[in-house]
Amino acid sequence: MIATLSHTKSQRQNLILTGFGLALIGVLLASLSLGAYHIPFPQTLAILFDLIGFQVGDFQVQQANVLLQIRAPRILMALLVGGGLGIAGAALQGMFRNPLVEPGLIGVSSGAALFAVIFIVLVPVSASFAWIKPIGLPLFAFVGGLICVLAVYRLSKSQGRNDAATLILAGVAINALAGAFIGLVLFFADDSALRNFTFWSLGDLAGANWSKLPVTVVLIAVPSILLLLNTRQLNALALGEQEAFHMGVNVQRVKIQLLLLSALIVGAGVSMVGMIGFIGLVVPHLIRILFGSDHRLVLPGSFLFGAILLNFADLISRIIVIPAEMPIGVITALIGAPFFIWLIFNLNKSNN
Amino acid sequence: MLQASKVHFCIKQRPIVEQISLELNPGEILAVLGPNGAGKSTFFKILSGDISCKHGSVKYNGEPIHKLKAKDLASVRAVMPQHSQVNFPFTVQEVVELGLISTKTKNSSQLINEVLNATNTDHLKDRVFNSLSGGEKQRVQLARALVQIWESKPFPRYLLLDEPSSSLDIAQQHAVLSILQKLKSRNIGILVILHELNLAAQYADKIALIKNGEITKTGTVDEVLEEKLLEKVFDHPIQLIRNPATGRPIVASAAHIYSTFTSFKQA
Repeated sequence: MIATLSHTKSQRQNLILTGFGLALIGVLLASLSLGAYHIPFPQTLAILFDLIGFQVGDFQVQQANVLLQIRAPRILMALLVGGGLGIAGAALQGMFRNPLVEPGLIGVSSGAALFAVIFIVLVPVSASFAWIKPIGLPLFAFVGGLICVLAVYRLSKSQGRNDAATLILAGVAINALAGAFIGLVLFFADDSALRNFTFWSLGDLAGANWSKLPVTVVLIAVPSILLLLNTRQLNALALGEQEAFHMGVNVQRVKIQLLLLSALIVGAGVSMVGMIGFIGLVVPHLIRILFGSDHRLVLPGSFLFGAILLNFADLISRIIVIPAEMPIGVITALIGAPFFIWLIFNLNKSNN
Repeated sequence: MLQASKVHFCIKQRPIVEQISLELNPGEILAVLGPNGAGKSTFFKILSGDISCKHGSVKYNGEPIHKLKAKDLASVRAVMPQHSQVNFPFTVQEVVELGLISTKTKNSSQLINEVLNATNTDHLKDRVFNSLSGGEKQRVQLARALVQIWESKPFPRYLLLDEPSSSLDIAQQHAVLSILQKLKSRNIGILVILHELNLAAQYADKIALIKNGEITKTGTVDEVLEEKLLEKVFDHPIQLIRNPATGRPIVASAAHIYSTFTSFKQA
C-alpha cells in the first residue's frame, strides 16, 4: 500500500513541477509580447516559430529585433537569476535548518555586492584586459558571498548551538560591515569607476544582453543542477546534522558543497543584475506551505517559481510606468516585505 | 560484536572518559547507567562516531570505526538521539523514509511498513511530525533509526539509544523498551543509556555502571545492581527489593530510612 502511496507521491510531485513549468512558459510568452513596444501575441508566436524554421504568420523586422535582441536575453536572464535565487534560498534554508534564512539576510548578497564593487573600482580594466570583465565580476562576487556566508555560519555556531537569533544577528552585523566597506571603497573611487558602479548598482535586468548569457548559464544553471543532486541529503539534514551523519550522510562535504554552490549562484546573480531581495526567502516558503517540505520538490519547485516570480516582477516593472521602468528590486520588495512580516507574525504565533 | 577498548577522551586536559572498555554482542541489551555528568553521553558519542577518541579504539564487527565511511557505518549501526527537532513540516512517513537514505534496498516500502508496525506508529504515518506528542515522536524517531538496520544482513547490526525514555510516561517508557526487547532476535545488539534504574533492571541483559568517566562495574543485572555499589556510584542511600512476580530487583531510594536516624554521609 505504501508502494502505491509513494508512487502517487512522486507522481504528484511531477504533476506540480509540470504545472510550474507550464506557468513559466506562459509568463515567458506574456513577457515577450508585452512592454513599451507592444508585439501582438500572434506575431510573438510567429517570430518564435520562424526561429525554428516554421512560417506561421507575418511580422515586421523591427518586432523581431525588439523581441530577439532586447526582450529574449532579458527574459532568459530573469529566468536564470530568479530561479537561481529561489533554489539557492531553498538550499540555504535547508542547510541552516531555518526557514528565515535568505541570501540577503545571511550576508551572501551584500558580500557579493562588496566584492563586485571592489572589482569595479579597484581592478583597472584596460582595453587589453577587457575579456576578463564578464567572468571576473561574477567570480569576485562569488568569493565575496562565500566569505560572508562562511563568516555568518561560523559566528552563528560559536556558542556550540546553531540557533536562529545568533544567526540573524551575525547576518545583520556582516551586512552592516559589508555596507560600510562598500562606502569605504567608493570613497577611493575615481570618477569613471563611480560611473561604472552607479550603472551596475542601478543595473537591473535592462542591462541583459546575449553576450552576458553564456557566463550566467555556466555560473547559475550548472550549480543549480548540482544543487538538485543534494535533495535527499538536505532532507536528512532537516532532522539535524548529527542525525544526518548517523544516517550515513557525509555532513561536512554536503555542507561545503551547498555553501559553494549557493554562493556561486547568488554571486553571479548579484553581479549580473544587482541585489534583488526576497525571492530567495519567499519562494521556497510558499512552496513548502503549499506542497510540503520534501526537498526533492522544494528545490526544483523553487527554481521554477523563482523564475516565474522574477519574470512577472520584471514584466510589471516594464509596463507599470511606460515608457520608463520601475526598478525591479522595488517590485520584489513590495511583494516580499509584506509576506516577510506575515511570516514573522505567524512564526511567533505558532511558537507560543 | 561492538567492541570499545581503552577509550579515552579529554576536554581541556580533563579526562571525561577514562580507559573504558566494553563489549556489546548481537542479541543483547546493554544498559549504561550512571549519575549525571559521569561521561555517559561523551562515551556514547564516541561509540556512534560523532566524536573520535585520541586513545583507544572502537570496532564494529572487527572494523575500526575511523576506517568506516559515514555510509558504511550507517549500515552497521543506527542511533537514536535524546531529543530531535524537525524544523520543517515533514510527515511521519517522510521522516521514517529518511532512515533509508544511504541504504540500497529494493523493498524499501516493505521495510518501512514493518518498522511502522513494530513501533506501533503505522496509524501516524500521514501526520506531521511536529504535531505529535512526546511519546509518539520518540517512537517515530525509533522507527527512523530502526529502518536503517532492519533488513536482515549477513552481519550483526547495532542500535545505540541515548535516554530514549527520558521524557516519557510509564506506559510509553515500557512501550519503547519492549520494542527493543523484540529486536534481539534480529541479530541486533542494543546499547541504551538509561536514567531509570528499574527499566534497566527489568529489560537489560547486561549493565555497565559508569562514574567519573570510568567503568565501575559491568555484568549481569544481579551482579551490578547491588545496594552498596549503587550507593557509592549515585551517592544516595539505596534499598533493593525483589519483584515477587519476576524475581528481578527493584531499586528504591532509602533516604527516608536513613534520615530518621542519622545523616547518610556519616553512616
